[in-house]
Amino acid sequence: MIKVKNLHKKFNDLTVLNGIDEHISQGEVVVIIGPSGSGKSTFLRCLNLLEDVTEGEIYVDDELINTPKVNINVVRQKMGMVFQQFNLFPHLTIMNNITLAPVLLKKMTKEEAVRKGQELLSRVNLAEKADAYPAQLSGGQKQRVAIARALAMNPEIMLFDEPTSALDPEMVGEVLDVMKDLAESGMTMVIVTHEMRFAREVASRVLFIDQGIVMESGTPEEVFNHPKNERTKLFLSKVL
Amino acid sequence: MTGIQLWFADFCDMFYTCFIEEDRYKLLISGIGVTIKVSLLAVIIGILIGMLIALCNLSRNKLLRAVGGVYTDVIRGTPSVTQLLIIYFVIFASVDLDKWIIAAIAFGVNSGAYVSEIIRGGILSVDRGQTEAGRSLGLNAFQTMTRIVIPQAVKNIFPALCNEFIVLIKETAIVGYVGLMDIQKAGDFIKSATFKAFMPLVGTAVIYYVLIKILTLTLRRVENHLRKSDVR
Repeated sequence: MIKVKNLHKKFNDLTVLNGIDEHISQGEVVVIIGPSGSGKSTFLRCLNLLEDVTEGEIYVDDELINTPKVNINVVRQKMGMVFQQFNLFPHLTIMNNITLAPVLLKKMTKEEAVRKGQELLSRVNLAEKADAYPAQLSGGQKQRVAIARALAMNPEIMLFDEPTSALDPEMVGEVLDVMKDLAESGMTMVIVTHEMRFAREVASRVLFIDQGIVMESGTPEEVFNHPKNERTKLFLSKVL
Repeated sequence: MTGIQLWFADFCDMFYTCFIEEDRYKLLISGIGVTIKVSLLAVIIGILIGMLIALCNLSRNKLLRAVGGVYTDVIRGTPSVTQLLIIYFVIFASVDLDKWIIAAIAFGVNSGAYVSEIIRGGILSVDRGQTEAGRSLGLNAFQTMTRIVIPQAVKNIFPALCNEFIVLIKETAIVGYVGLMDIQKAGDFIKSATFKAFMPLVGTAVIYYVLIKILTLTLRRVENHLRKSDVR
């Protein structure tokens, strides 16, 4: 579903990604862990080209996407993204946050989008908030709306960039529950997170990224219980 | 008669001479019409030019940025009277357009430079995450700008824009230079006709003040309406 070949990313002189090769298949829930500054968020943001790629190739559904010939907007419609800072549109109601893109991009009529929006809001337990504005919601509620907003485009893949890092501790659970449901429904997901317990429970595969390369990759059991790489061991000894 | 009564009688007399005699108030009323007409069209032109120049200034294209930069620089570096005269007597010299329209274009061109800076600041004040969220949903750059960034920017820059409109209205008091009879020119005309300075000039000031007061109160209501998504 996503193939990454020899991915390099430099910010001026700073090399953040130093040759990543990765293959993410349909239905996989890939959780990326690693120390801060390791390049894991940059890697995720390269997958839908929110960061332009310095070198290497990214294929989505076997189509090379980091080339000017591709209409990236169409590719992005297949890839939902959830941000650390939620990034809800503050000037729109919750319902309009959700329906904006599907209606504007002619994926649905207004009526269909509203119906879908109500369905998604029920799914994230926020059905009664449809007419509220983002400023009236708690952090956990905002993030659940952000997930619903991304799902409204019927994406094939969902990218999560540290979705719980900006939340108060008591709100982390409600967001992770929604993500867990999503994983169980068979959605292909790539998740950057610091929630190790969540990674262990939900991931079908864990990637440990450090110094801009994938140091270790395997099932949660392999990575958490029998890490092979010295850096992985060091990192896990600090966070577990 | 006491002093106050004398003064009052004198005041009424002056008022009569300046505003009632020979229907001079009609000059002021048509002057108000001219001022409003010119200001309104100038505001619209100013916003359009302002948006265009702001987008030039924010563009990645070097040539567009240069165009925007020169525009702002030249307009800000020259007096608006000079600009008005150049646009009226040089650029539109051989064009058959109503005077007031040419004047409105001149003020719009002037205002556009200031509006563009306000808009640029407003767009930059919207968090980058908003653009990223829009683009990640598959919206193109234009859709993200018009549906997500600009609506939020408008709310942020609204007070500054109102201020610019008020400045613009007062700025139009120089249209007399190209022979338009606006409020200022009407007051001035009455002054020369009656050889009285106090009443026509203070009257002019009062009319401008009331106009701008009405505008300010109206715009404040609009602003409160814009802020309705801020409720917490």
